[in-house]
Amino acid sequence: MSTATLTPAPVRLRSRRLADSWSQTGLLIQWQLRRSAQALPLLVLVQIMLSVATIAGYGLLVGHPDHLAGLYLATGAPTVALITVGLVMTPQMVTQSRTEGSLDWLRTLPVPRSLFLVADLTVWTLIALPGLVLGIVAGAVRYDVDLAPTWWLVPAALLVSLTAAAVGYAMASLLSPMVAQLMSQVLVFVVLLFTPISFPSDRMPGWAQDLHAWLPLEPMAQVIRAGLAPHDFTVPGRSWVVLIVWCLASVIGAGAALRKRG
Amino acid sequence: MDEVLQVRGLHKTFGRGTSAVQANAGIDLTVGAGQVVGLLGHNGAGKSTLVNQVVGLLRPDAGSIRLAGIDAVADPDAARRLASVQAQANVPITGLTPRRAVELVGRIRGGRTPQVRARTEHLLDALDLGPWAATPAEKVSGGIARLTAFAMTAVVPGRLVVLDEPTNDVDPVRRRLLWAQIRALADDGAAVLLVTHNVREAERVVDHLAVLDRGTVLAAGTPAELTADRRGTLSLEVDLVPGRTPHWPDGSTVLERGHLRATTTVPADRAAATVQWAADEQTAGRIERYALAPASLEDVYVDLVETTEETAA
Repeated sequence: MSTATLTPAPVRLRSRRLADSWSQTGLLIQWQLRRSAQALPLLVLVQIMLSVATIAGYGLLVGHPDHLAGLYLATGAPTVALITVGLVMTPQMVTQSRTEGSLDWLRTLPVPRSLFLVADLTVWTLIALPGLVLGIVAGAVRYDVDLAPTWWLVPAALLVSLTAAAVGYAMASLLSPMVAQLMSQVLVFVVLLFTPISFPSDRMPGWAQDLHAWLPLEPMAQVIRAGLAPHDFTVPGRSWVVLIVWCLASVIGAGAALRKRG
Repeated sequence: MDEVLQVRGLHKTFGRGTSAVQANAGIDLTVGAGQVVGLLGHNGAGKSTLVNQVVGLLRPDAGSIRLAGIDAVADPDAARRLASVQAQANVPITGLTPRRAVELVGRIRGGRTPQVRARTEHLLDALDLGPWAATPAEKVSGGIARLTAFAMTAVVPGRLVVLDEPTNDVDPVRRRLLWAQIRALADDGAAVLLVTHNVREAERVVDHLAVLDRGTVLAAGTPAELTADRRGTLSLEVDLVPGRTPHWPDGSTVLERGHLRATTTVPADRAAATVQWAADEQTAGRIERYALAPASLEDVYVDLVETTEETAA
């Protein structure tokens, strides 16, 4: 029986499994991309609009900002784009896959749990990328600022994207679908208006500044800002630590949520 | 026999206190390589809970699950590498075509591309899915989606293949093709655990059966063993003529009588006389059609479950 040959599930060696992990990640990405192929152009478009609209909208609010305020606005928009993908779109997509039954089925596949996170994260980062780049261009043009992106902007953006997506993932896996949806709506407001992303933190009341000192949002804004305009901004060491701790904790949390057995 | 799945003393309770539901209350089950074991039971009998513990979606409260020698409770990742599962709910594959979905899953399960392609074509052909193979999933019917989900499970089968209600929504012609493929999985060496309500059809492909009710195994054995008590009786089904009452044959017991249909049992040694009776009644215009068959597994199953319900009540 040539065509009907059954390949029994092989018990693989560890080294072989590593190679498999690469191809499995690629296949999972392909699965997710093909499954959302119809919605994909729309999702990318919404991200572009969000990113460009943040630039244009803030411009309407503040009129003609000075150089520093312009820099804040131009560098804030891409951060907002990255964070909303992770904290807003991720929970929505995970919740949808939970309610339609995809997630439970995916969890029966012989795939290490961490690969789901890697695959989903790649898909969401790809969705956010065009909006991110166009947001940066729009900001530079609108506020007439010179941006000089550094080499480490790419890993920094990935760190921000990973942290935001992992928090969103854990949130969507642990909370009930309804609560997760509501949380993501609330977070849009918090991120857009009450987080020192597009304005300096000293404009906020003291208690809010203290709060943001422990949340990952301000450090996210700082690394993207400094990565885009290294001559004007630096990242405090403490911010790197806060961001990396959040990243580790949220990835571990998302992994645990995926491994959870009822 | 090479025991692939070994479940011993499995307990699982959901919730706490007065609202606690004991879904599995001490289940023992063995599935060997090359065997199809049918797991029968009502909705809520604990079948899916059992399946979800085997692949590590749920953690048992007590008991052990061994899969090809591996402790599936301690190492769910290893268990998943050894098992493939068709879940009760259909897998959403919108955006994909059946062929693409089966191929992708085959490769995710670790199959090599040429073999996965060949096996996919073989399954699509064997299940008569060819006409739908390239149709976007959002345009296929529930039955085709169900068969696609089966093919996704069978494309690179594990040592253990778990099928949860694989025949739901499938048309009668393709259901036969599906049963043949389920049997083929076992004949090629996999251990198949088949969860189903479809007792009548499952009877023809299973080697062994376990009847589950309220989280425990009520009865287990081969179809012949389970129906052994009824070896001396035959089941006679009669289509009635409206308004006419047949003269029932000697020694028969009428179990059920509806407007157009009646079910009775007759002693096996009166088979020839019963056939003669039926021919006479048909000639006299008192019955339309009849069927005489050995006591079915479905009868045994219904009896078993009803008896425990009466006891419980």
